[in-house]
Amino acid sequence: MFHRESGVFKTSYGADMALYPLPIAKWTVVILALIFVVIVPLTVHEYYLSILNLIFIAIVGALGLNILVGYTGQISIGHGAFMSVGAYTAANLAVKLGLPFWLTLPAGGLMAALIGVIVGMPSLRIKGLYLAIATLAGQLIIEWTINHVPAISGGAQASIEVGRPNLFGFTFNTQGRLYFFLLFFAVVAIVATLNLVRSRIGRAFVAVRDQDIAAEIIGINIYRYKLLAFAISSFYAGVCGVLYTYYFGIANYEQFQLIVSIDYLAMIIIGGLGSVLGTIFGAIFVTLLPIVIRIFMENVGSLFFTTAEMANVISGLRLGVFGGLIIFFLIVEPEGLNRLWRNIRSYFRVWPFSY
Amino acid sequence: MTRFVRSWLGIAATTVTLAVGGGQAFAQKELVFGLQCDRTGPTANVGTVLCPGYHDYIALVNSKGGVEGYKIKVLEIDHEYKVPPAIEAHERFKKEGAVLEGLYGTPQTAALNKKLEEDKILGTSPGFGTASAADGKRYPYTFPIAASYWSQGGAAVAFAKEKLGDLKGKKIAYLFYDNPAGKEPLPILEDLAKAEGFELRTFAVPAPGLEMGAQILDITSRYKPDFIITHLFGRSPSVSIKELKGKGFPLSKVVAFVWGSAESDIIAAGGMGVAEGYNTMQFAGVGKDFQVLKDIEAMYKAQGKTPPKEMDSTVYYNRGVFIAALHVEAARNAIKAKAGAKPTSEDVKKGMESIKGLTLGGLLPPLELTAADHEGGGWVQIWTVKGGKLVKVKDWFQGNRPTIQKHLAADAAKS
Amino acid sequence: MSEDLEFAFALVLSGASIGLMYSLIALGFVLVYKATDAINFAQGEFVMLAGLIVVTALGFEAPLIAAVVVVVLAMIGFSFGLEKVVLRPLLGRPVVAVIMATIGVAAVLRGWGPLIFGIETRNLPLPIGDEPIAIGPASLPPIQVVGAAVALLFFVVFNWFFKKSRMGVAMRAVADNQQVAQAMGINVERYFALAWAMAGIVSALGGVVWGSMLGVDVQLALVGLKVFPVVILGGLDSIGGALVGGLIIGIVESLAAGYLDPYVGGGTKDFAPYVLMILVLMVRPYGIFGRRQIERV
Repeated sequence: MFHRESGVFKTSYGADMALYPLPIAKWTVVILALIFVVIVPLTVHEYYLSILNLIFIAIVGALGLNILVGYTGQISIGHGAFMSVGAYTAANLAVKLGLPFWLTLPAGGLMAALIGVIVGMPSLRIKGLYLAIATLAGQLIIEWTINHVPAISGGAQASIEVGRPNLFGFTFNTQGRLYFFLLFFAVVAIVATLNLVRSRIGRAFVAVRDQDIAAEIIGINIYRYKLLAFAISSFYAGVCGVLYTYYFGIANYEQFQLIVSIDYLAMIIIGGLGSVLGTIFGAIFVTLLPIVIRIFMENVGSLFFTTAEMANVISGLRLGVFGGLIIFFLIVEPEGLNRLWRNIRSYFRVWPFSY
Repeated sequence: MTRFVRSWLGIAATTVTLAVGGGQAFAQKELVFGLQCDRTGPTANVGTVLCPGYHDYIALVNSKGGVEGYKIKVLEIDHEYKVPPAIEAHERFKKEGAVLEGLYGTPQTAALNKKLEEDKILGTSPGFGTASAADGKRYPYTFPIAASYWSQGGAAVAFAKEKLGDLKGKKIAYLFYDNPAGKEPLPILEDLAKAEGFELRTFAVPAPGLEMGAQILDITSRYKPDFIITHLFGRSPSVSIKELKGKGFPLSKVVAFVWGSAESDIIAAGGMGVAEGYNTMQFAGVGKDFQVLKDIEAMYKAQGKTPPKEMDSTVYYNRGVFIAALHVEAARNAIKAKAGAKPTSEDVKKGMESIKGLTLGGLLPPLELTAADHEGGGWVQIWTVKGGKLVKVKDWFQGNRPTIQKHLAADAAKS
Repeated sequence: MSEDLEFAFALVLSGASIGLMYSLIALGFVLVYKATDAINFAQGEFVMLAGLIVVTALGFEAPLIAAVVVVVLAMIGFSFGLEKVVLRPLLGRPVVAVIMATIGVAAVLRGWGPLIFGIETRNLPLPIGDEPIAIGPASLPPIQVVGAAVALLFFVVFNWFFKKSRMGVAMRAVADNQQVAQAMGINVERYFALAWAMAGIVSALGGVVWGSMLGVDVQLALVGLKVFPVVILGGLDSIGGALVGGLIIGIVESLAAGYLDPYVGGGTKDFAPYVLMILVLMVRPYGIFGRRQIERV
């Protein structure tokens, strides 16, 4: 944020790692809360709320993936499958046992964490490409299992319909109400991640990422921390899957296929690996990109193309821009949107006296 | 650095302006239709032909003055066969005041069923989606409008029976794409196997189904069925044609469900000449011999343009026209019922539920949509590859309707 | 032969020929990885692009030979350019960066490919007829025979190239240790480009063969997913490994579909190779023929 930090002097490491780096940051949080809790839901059209809802869900999943990829340096191309594990766990519990969301949600997360640890086992022996492909195999095997075990999938349709979340008789059944439901979990996920990464566990993750041998020498049990990273990351993914389930009103494994895993990877790459703020930017960016391109083309493209051509152009352009941006960020700005944000911030921090 | 930051700010500002400026006001006498497509995802071969068909029919209607004086504006959103963009598309349609929307894709339909009901906007899911959505009481705002996978299964068995005479003691192989959509007709087929006394064995093709040598070998050299029913998607129908042909199985003893039945599937398998005898199931008419298609061609010529080449792929193109025609008819009924006033989505739903006797010169089946039956009867035709083109061999029929109705009733009782 | 044996033979034969066609695609991947350590997740899209270029050239009434020449040149140029623009700047960056970059390339190709070369499904006829070729009691479609032959041919050529030719030896040196190779006066950058160009050639012919088998449109790219079990099994950097890995995966798939599917309700074909792959990862992570120096923990 655009804080002027003059006059603040930190005297301990603890102060430097505090959640609020400056006293004024508390006010920023209050203002942000005011915007998102009061102003946005009151003033913004339901359509934009629905986009925000999708972004909130994406933030939860992307944060989880960033803990694994960005902070711990492991890789997973199977996060879509972990989401489906969470989704089916929650849907089965909600339908068969009639449990409310505040029980199914953590249950879905825990089940995903368990499966995540199993899929993450190969990380104990291998890394890099091999791990990537092992998790890819995990994705396909989980999909196959769900598709072929009716006890999990609820029949040949492999989809289980779930009622809207309900709390003390209040049903979250419109976009406006779901907005608060999802906002709550997105905020919890953000705060939890911020605290996690500055805790002992988070620092251990970073140590494993930066130099695993050194980490082991200074007494970090890298096996345990790698599996822990997989567990935590899959927990987030599972929760993300549960949120999708409640948001769509249905659990269906076809909603969580390989392409979803890749989209989430794109979010954290574009946003910035190993950065919470970057993850948020990435989730926003990847969700908004197709929408913005389409709206842009609907308004501008009609000058150059007929309607019939345009539909194809929009589609091709969207994929092309999406891929192009991934490449662009990797080459030009490996630290992603987060770095751009910091550049902008440091520019304004000294503005107008930049020299 | 300064210039760098500035240029980024500039880009960001432009984006925001454009995003905000997105929704414009529209004219008084205009109806908005939403259309979801997959032009870039795994089923792009369908969307890139079907959606132009939809647009062309709407353009034709508009060029003739619209529906009862209302121009139609189509908003198309390509969701790439992903679910979150389909949700976003629905919300966008809702914001723009769409009176109905065309859905695309089984998982997308599943995810939207509930939203359609909450928002009271009708959505059509022709030839895909859940079969039980035919029940208008259970899913009041979802309209399959064409034969569901259950109806297609019933029709396939009926066609096999016609080909083989009696099914008692015969062997039928069901070669299906290993996903929920592929498995959906299984209960119908199993039921019919018991009732008709034939033996049924299933062979799964896992996605993406680019190779199925082993399954075809299993079918042709071990099981040796009298008839094969295939239910495949994407690239796999053409692979099945090629493999079956390669193993010398007579293609005249094969019938494909609606998504394995397009010209492009046969062309990709090596051209029409290769697939002689292949039977395809259709929920819309095939070929160019329809007045409405000639009108569309005339419309293009009148504008001094050549008709688009998508028109040559008549199976999917005509399905686009089929969907558009039903959408327009629903709107027409709604406007008439309100004596010319602008219909709400609720009115259009009622309009859809009173569609009857719309045939468009045979492009549409004699379907009849009611508040209880959103499938319109589950009509299909069988077209066969003969002499290098698709020829109609069996006109509109409903196969084994009682079995399907029994299953619908059982399903409704369950929920 | 009894009927059961005949069936088994036919399954193995069909699996083997498809497996060799998988190796054809895997070869492109291995060539790049061997020389430059880059992982190409866009291999399937390369094949798709090649297929699109061929059918477009054929659409201009070009004879097949000319079309093949065009596609080979185009793919060499394309991979060459890709290496320069996208992959060179990423040298020395973590694996995930290269993986994501090639995933980005894949998206770009899927987006722009059909816009430039046409969106509709097209047939790619090869002058080989479609009468099955009998081999013993079983038979194979001619296209699979051609595909298998092309894969074997590449195997022989590349084997000779890496073992005997001066350039091949230099390339192996680059793969072994870039710094030492550079010190010995080998122009490392040139060999990187060469490796990509070779991958381009393989993808071009892969596009012709697979395009002829499946028809050409965007979905041709899906063949790329088959690469991973093949290369992991065979070893990421081994030409022979790609061949053997392809054969094993093809046969395992075929046998799984023939003998496992009836018991578990189908669909094991896609699943079996990955299970096998995980087992291999656990026991011999460097694959059957791979170099033993894998990044271990």
